[in-house]
Amino acid sequence: MRCFKLVVVLACLGWPFILLPCPDVHAASPSKRATTIDELAAKYDVSSCKECHEEIYEQWEASAHSKSIFGVGARTAATIGTTITKGLMTWPYSGVEKPEDVKLKHLMLCTKCHLPQLEDATDDVAQEIVKAVFGLWEKEIKKESVEKLKKININCLICHQTKAITHKWAQGFPQRDAVYGTQEGAHDDEKYPVMKKSEILHESVFCGQCHGLGPNLEFEEPSQCPTAYGSYLFAYIPEGGHETCQSCHIRKFNKGHVMPAYRDADMAEAAVSFEVNAFGYYWRKNKLEGVIPLAVVRVEMTNKTGHGIPDG
Amino acid sequence: MPAPGRFACGEQMGRGPYEKAGLIRDTALPPHRTVVETFEIPFPYEKTEQGKEIYGKPLFKAMDIVVELWYVPFGETEGPAARWNQLERKETKRVTID
Repeated sequence: MRCFKLVVVLACLGWPFILLPCPDVHAASPSKRATTIDELAAKYDVSSCKECHEEIYEQWEASAHSKSIFGVGARTAATIGTTITKGLMTWPYSGVEKPEDVKLKHLMLCTKCHLPQLEDATDDVAQEIVKAVFGLWEKEIKKESVEKLKKININCLICHQTKAITHKWAQGFPQRDAVYGTQEGAHDDEKYPVMKKSEILHESVFCGQCHGLGPNLEFEEPSQCPTAYGSYLFAYIPEGGHETCQSCHIRKFNKGHVMPAYRDADMAEAAVSFEVNAFGYYWRKNKLEGVIPLAVVRVEMTNKTGHGIPDG
Repeated sequence: MPAPGRFACGEQMGRGPYEKAGLIRDTALPPHRTVVETFEIPFPYEKTEQGKEIYGKPLFKAMDIVVELWYVPFGETEGPAARWNQLERKETKRVTID
């Protein structure tokens, strides 16, 4: 009886500790999640970065990352729309019969990469995004829809905090008060006073978190967008390649945080060498047709990048 | 370009990130490799006989051949979707024959 009492007391003392959440500082409790696009944008506001990192900020503004939900020429938003109408609404087990049924988990097919911070939001934000996507084709609300979709994107915090660590059990979870770069120390910002080093910031795996290994098989319904990182790992590296994504897309051509691809003339020029040689001769074809004059054109195309071109 | 399967099943190519899964075929230029394509283009000619042999007499002695390399994701070279076209290299070669 005494033994039993002792066990019960010890269990009661330990109970509060069992109930404490695991130290995943990245996850937001449901009560803290954003409930509107504006709230999500505010949670991930990076306007203070511009004060000290103006040049980099302006480069980012010119990048495709800064338009990750709206897209260049609204292409991304349009594709989110067709994902809903030609995908979700046609699948019998998706739970989506109309756009109003779309929840966070449905949008994650796209936002895993296009807006990772949506995990920090509620289904209400998913609905607001859906309304804005379809609103692009409604004259009365088009302008408002464009503005809403442009507020949310892959910004400084996504790379320099959210995605800064891949191996979290070995290297820790991203801290909410820190920005991750190449150095450790104090950071002159009220909201992010800590500067920490990311081990992967200059490694291709950093970009590979979003730039594609193939189907996202962890989802109930796998989506697949780019396969560039897969091509990098399984084609470029075996061919003897050794440069990183950042090497070409940031440093080599001095593009910084624009990180352009084919839309940039320098990158397009450097990506593929294209040589054409041609000559003529008389070809002895066959008895019936005899000897005919023939031009022979030999085209040599060399892909000088770290992944297949084009990707898709 | 990569030709992904439709839900990674069967022979049909998928469309859009919501359908695409895996790869059926990949015609993209592979990284760090050279792809060579050769085209044989007959000169326009008329058939003549030279002794017992049939001989194609070229109608003209020079031909300008334009070689274009492009990637047109939405199949449009003009129009709104053309903004996403890539690469677009063009070279003209003059081929002559005696």
